[in-house]
Amino acid sequence: MSKGLRKTHLYGFHKRKAKMVEFAGFDMPLWYRGIIPEHLAVRNAVGVFDITHMGRAVITGAESEAFLNYVTTNDVSVLVPCSAQYSTMCNETGGIKDDFILSRLEPEKFLIVYNAANREKDFQWLVHNAKSFGVKVEDVSDRIAMFAVQGPKAQRTLEKLAGEGVGRIERFKCGWLKLVDVDVFASRTGYTGEDGFEVFVWNTPLLEPVKAVHVWNAILTAGDEFGIEPCGLGARDTLRLEAGMCLYGNDIDEVTTPLEAGLGFVVKLKKESFIGKAALEKQKAEGVRKKRVGLRMLEKGPSPRPKQEVWKDSVQIGYVTSGLFSPLLQCGVAQAYVGVEHAVEGTAVTVRVRDKALKAEVCRFPLYDPAKFGYARVK
Amino acid sequence: MRYKDYEIPDELYYSKEHEWVRLEGKEAVVGITDYAQKQLHEIVYVEIALKEGATAEQNQTMGTVESVKSVSDIFSPVSGKIAKVNKELADSPELLNQEPYGKGWLVRISLDDFSKDKEKLLFAKQYAEYLKTMED
Repeated sequence: MSKGLRKTHLYGFHKRKAKMVEFAGFDMPLWYRGIIPEHLAVRNAVGVFDITHMGRAVITGAESEAFLNYVTTNDVSVLVPCSAQYSTMCNETGGIKDDFILSRLEPEKFLIVYNAANREKDFQWLVHNAKSFGVKVEDVSDRIAMFAVQGPKAQRTLEKLAGEGVGRIERFKCGWLKLVDVDVFASRTGYTGEDGFEVFVWNTPLLEPVKAVHVWNAILTAGDEFGIEPCGLGARDTLRLEAGMCLYGNDIDEVTTPLEAGLGFVVKLKKESFIGKAALEKQKAEGVRKKRVGLRMLEKGPSPRPKQEVWKDSVQIGYVTSGLFSPLLQCGVAQAYVGVEHAVEGTAVTVRVRDKALKAEVCRFPLYDPAKFGYARVK
Repeated sequence: MRYKDYEIPDELYYSKEHEWVRLEGKEAVVGITDYAQKQLHEIVYVEIALKEGATAEQNQTMGTVESVKSVSDIFSPVSGKIAKVNKELADSPELLNQEPYGKGWLVRISLDDFSKDKEKLLFAKQYAEYLKTMED
């Protein structure tokens, strides 16, 4: 099954302990103990994910800020060294090429982390658009192992290995830490809705996995007292869906704009120029016709799944883009696009599953109670 | 018998769609195999679309099993009339994971002609070999 698929440094660990799945050309863990216990470990304590499969590029040069302001939609000039921002790249028609986290390492050095499925496409797009700027774009994907340590106990887990410096990295900040005896780069970001860190083990090529394996094992040991779970792509998907984060290829793509996806906060139309600006300006002035919303099923039954139709009264108003059973809420949940007039919290709709119309309601993100779960929870 | 982690009781018949059949007089009790429940994992919803009294044809879809992230069809391994549906599964779908050959049974089917159904079913040993070929 694994023939021809790419592997990460932790392949041996995954293969022994997890149910594996092919994802973006990689042989990756889907779950170890199960999606539900892994999901709950992250919401209640801490979990660790191998996300080495993601794409990474470093952009350097005197014009790197100007270049990134041109190729991405967010305002890069507000990004001080050692800070990160969520952003998108769009095509000329405002469709999303990808969504990603951009970190400023130094005044003229940036790190961009994008979706595994878009590794080649994004790198080509960056290189293509960099031609008229004084910058260098370097694909560093294969030299870095990357782990996400997520959950309310993530900071304490890493503090056991790296000391108090961990707490000095605030949300959407980043910096260097010495984790056990390994220098790692860490950003306080993630894809779960929880507090947490993404840890980059630099200069650890696949053929020399020792450093990466060492860091992974150290995190698992440190988190043991909190009930840490290694987590697979299954829990990664259930966690991000509840948090209202987009999965590229499902919830966003090249024919969907950030405004439709509810990502207007990363589109800075005041910037002088960027790819897709004219199209997005026009759409903003005219108003979007569809919008991404959360759905929560109101009755016990099948969970909503991608491509299913969303109806209100006797009219189809939209479609599901991601759907599954929420381990936290114990019911079916979805992300869907509906006509903008229906994108109102509490709107009663139905989802067509096979021959049935199942009752659901439009919800805001996150789908969980933010006072009880997520990074902004009341401590 | 067993194949790897998978329990395969000797006295049952098996379909290539990973259902099992236990003969009880003129009726057959039907469920999904240990292999199937381990692959699906964390079953959160079971739906038997065929009601009691409905006719099931061999290999006809009779319902669906849902885990957190996936949906799979269940096929009837035999032909006959649905005599009973396991109603406990509506509130306790996890029974399919906990006791796939016991409390996690799906339906009882009043058989039409099992000698004909049998031609397409496997014995435990054949099912074990079938699982082996699937992994190659």
